[in-house]
Amino acid sequence: MDPVTRRSFLIKGSAGAVGAAGLAAGGLALSSAAAADTEEPDLQPGEAADVPGTVLVEIEDAATGEVKILVGEREVSFTDTALVAKVLRAAR
Amino acid sequence: MSSHREAPAISKDPVADNTDTYAWRTPGNTVTIITNYLPVEAPAGGPNFYEFDDTCAYNVNIDNDGDGKPDITYQFRFKTVITNPNTFLYNTGPITSLDSANWNRRQTYKVTKIEYRRGRKPRTTVLGRGLASPPCNIGPRSTPNYASLASAAVADLGSGVKVFTGQCADAFFVDLGAVFDLATLRPFQNLHLIPTAAADGRDALAQANVHTIAIQVPIADLTRDRKVPTDPMSPAAVIGVWGASYRQKARIRSRDRGWNGTGPWMQVSRLGNPLFNEVIVPMARKDEWNASSPADDRSFAKYVARPELAALLPVLYPGVFPNLAALKKDRADLLAVLLTGIPSGLIPGFQNFTGTTQADELRLNVAIPPAPTPNRLGLLGGDLAGFPNGRRLTDDIVTIELRAVAGATYPLVDPTFTPDGAVSVIEDGTFNNPGRTFRNAFPYIGLPYAGYDVPAAM
Repeated sequence: MDPVTRRSFLIKGSAGAVGAAGLAAGGLALSSAAAADTEEPDLQPGEAADVPGTVLVEIEDAATGEVKILVGEREVSFTDTALVAKVLRAAR
Repeated sequence: MSSHREAPAISKDPVADNTDTYAWRTPGNTVTIITNYLPVEAPAGGPNFYEFDDTCAYNVNIDNDGDGKPDITYQFRFKTVITNPNTFLYNTGPITSLDSANWNRRQTYKVTKIEYRRGRKPRTTVLGRGLASPPCNIGPRSTPNYASLASAAVADLGSGVKVFTGQCADAFFVDLGAVFDLATLRPFQNLHLIPTAAADGRDALAQANVHTIAIQVPIADLTRDRKVPTDPMSPAAVIGVWGASYRQKARIRSRDRGWNGTGPWMQVSRLGNPLFNEVIVPMARKDEWNASSPADDRSFAKYVARPELAALLPVLYPGVFPNLAALKKDRADLLAVLLTGIPSGLIPGFQNFTGTTQADELRLNVAIPPAPTPNRLGLLGGDLAGFPNGRRLTDDIVTIELRAVAGATYPLVDPTFTPDGAVSVIEDGTFNNPGRTFRNAFPYIGLPYAGYDVPAAM
């Protein structure tokens, strides 16, 4: 699986949220507003178009902050406890 | 059977359910491989007739070095189009050609060859795209000359490769109604633990269709040394074949277009040897088996070594299988037939051994020429060109495997063992079906039954 930085995830995650970013925990949709609350800079023109189809974000393990992103024909894994906390709070 | 609805998860996803895989040597130094999907299609199943799934990947896998992993894959991907958005009908008049304006919902497909190379990225070659599948066989008014439609859908991709995809008559035959009623064999049910009068077998698939993916390729495209072997004893003469289907990890319901997939492709069905998952693997592990690679089949070997069916037969047919009941050793014969291939030295002039890696693959020794008069019992009948040396459409799989499990092949590894007398005669009695027909050229499998002719749901 491809390595990913938190920054690159958030850029792609924000784009995916426009389509459908599903969460395994609770099965709720992550709103674009929630993603926009991160400290990441806004997408540059054309960045959203770089994301193929739907991006699905899955919290694999909330306790460890393990997150998986399904994008195109790939699965990207990384760990971000702060992001998981934010997502789960938004899902309440 | 042989793998129709054989596991809990895939039984709920029939369009991805690989029902049978066939591979046999055909004229012109070619191999024909068929993988079937969509079990037990009722021919009258309209108005949304059966079709392949655009969100599923269908692979024909070939292992030519015995490691249980594909060295060559032919992948088929489909695309469905609706040409007339203003009708509920599949067709608005007779479909007399593959470009008929009367045909409303049609499928095309792309064939990609993937060659896996150690230490390097796989080489991917698109062999054909925009290839047409024929319509389903509806009836004399909608598909009045079905044979010509099916014939037109055979595509020659050059370099000796032909492909066909579409609806066909299921070539498999089995008395499903009896065998899943506590392993009843109607011709011998008078001997069953719960006896009734003996009767003729009844083929549950006698008028069922499937959806076929067929490919014919030169032998030299498949062997490890890219040659046409002439010595059956050469390790390079054996290839392993299995069909498999894949779905992306997540599926998301679209508001207007059904499902969209995202994420990596994951295997959801596979089939090498017929009936392996159906009657060897316990129900609790069938879904796991469908998702796993043949290279990892070692963990399933214990079910081959001590098959449940071999223990059931003496119980369900009291007094009929005393020698089988007394056989307490691991079934080295079945381990060889199903998981490694038959090594040399057991059958004169024959082997289809691929090494010590235990992997469920349909092993074909391509140096064995086609039999002029095939024997339905394949190797059990002395026909080296039949199952389990590959599998032909006419091989009587249920009888062969039933007899093998009952002990017919155990003398190969223990000459002191004498199979029970019943072993040479037991069968489910479904072979002699005059309605089962085949084509005399690629793709060989029979034309599908028409919905008009088979109006009752099976």
